[in-house]
Amino acid sequence: MSNDVPVAALVARAAGDDQGAWNEIVGRYAPMVWSICTRYRLVGQDIEDVGQSVWLLLVEHLGKLREPAALPGWLATTTQRECFRVLRAARRYDHSGPPPDELPSSSDHALIEEEIIAAERNAALRAAFAELPPHCRRLLAMVLSDPPHSYAEISAILQIPVGSIGPQRARCLERLRRSSSLSAVHGC
Amino acid sequence: MLRLRARVPSAPEVSQVRDGWNDEQLLRELREALRARQAVPPEFVETGKNAYAWHNIDAELAQLTYDSGHDGERCAAMRSETASVRMLTFASAHFSIELEVTEGSVLGQIMPPGEGTIEAQTQAGGTTVTPIDEIGCFSIEPIPSSPFRLHCRAAGRIDVVTGWITL
Repeated sequence: MSNDVPVAALVARAAGDDQGAWNEIVGRYAPMVWSICTRYRLVGQDIEDVGQSVWLLLVEHLGKLREPAALPGWLATTTQRECFRVLRAARRYDHSGPPPDELPSSSDHALIEEEIIAAERNAALRAAFAELPPHCRRLLAMVLSDPPHSYAEISAILQIPVGSIGPQRARCLERLRRSSSLSAVHGC
Repeated sequence: MLRLRARVPSAPEVSQVRDGWNDEQLLRELREALRARQAVPPEFVETGKNAYAWHNIDAELAQLTYDSGHDGERCAAMRSETASVRMLTFASAHFSIELEVTEGSVLGQIMPPGEGTIEAQTQAGGTTVTPIDEIGCFSIEPIPSSPFRLHCRAAGRIDVVTGWITL
């Protein structure tokens, strides 16, 4: 499946009967669901609980989303609500603590806004990266590795002259910048 | 307080992606995008993909709303007499399932009560079907050793499935 299919189209296909479209939705937004869980300091089984609830709720709601294009927002707020549920379930036994907030605070809203923006940007960047020719992906992966490879190492592994690494890197980044996946984000 | 749990780092605007970023910024953002995906365990994504199996199945999800096993160590002293019993509650909009985990079995009751069957489905693929009696009670023996969920079918109402349970 192409990486730059608009999310509304994926939702429509998944609401029909298209496991591939569903997998693409999960692959695209699972990092956001995960990230929100970790920002609420959930770990282990609690994250799994939130994850499975979020996806099962989405399965239930696929055909009922009022604005399929706003799926990232729906997923983010649903994930947040599920995090609160898990936190409440954990705390109900511990009567010593203060009652948890029922309503998200303004910083919770800010967190969700950030996560949505980051998720859209990250998904677009990953899609754009996936569209690059293999030699660009290899080169950029080496540049981005931690710890970073030196130009001498890159030259030895990819068998390209050291002097051409800089220009190639610049060309690959330019291709990334011009990719239709990134421009789709801009079009919003 | 929940709000104290949230870290709020700054995030650049989406509109900067193409036009406003030099190569170093673009690389930094790309690194972050790839890292965000690598941080996610493959099983987490797999669970999400598997959720599609419930598409077009007429069942309601009952979610965990109470678990006495949470914060177990901290609370162990408070419940020393009943240390071997773990209580869980799953609830959907119209329905709840109470579970009590004893040494060798899972005792449960559905609310509102009614006859039906309860199926324990393990992640490994095994299933055990147990009857629910007229006051809504059931007993699952032995306790499933791998994560499982319950699929409840009762006359005259929509099916209910719980989230995965690990005991």
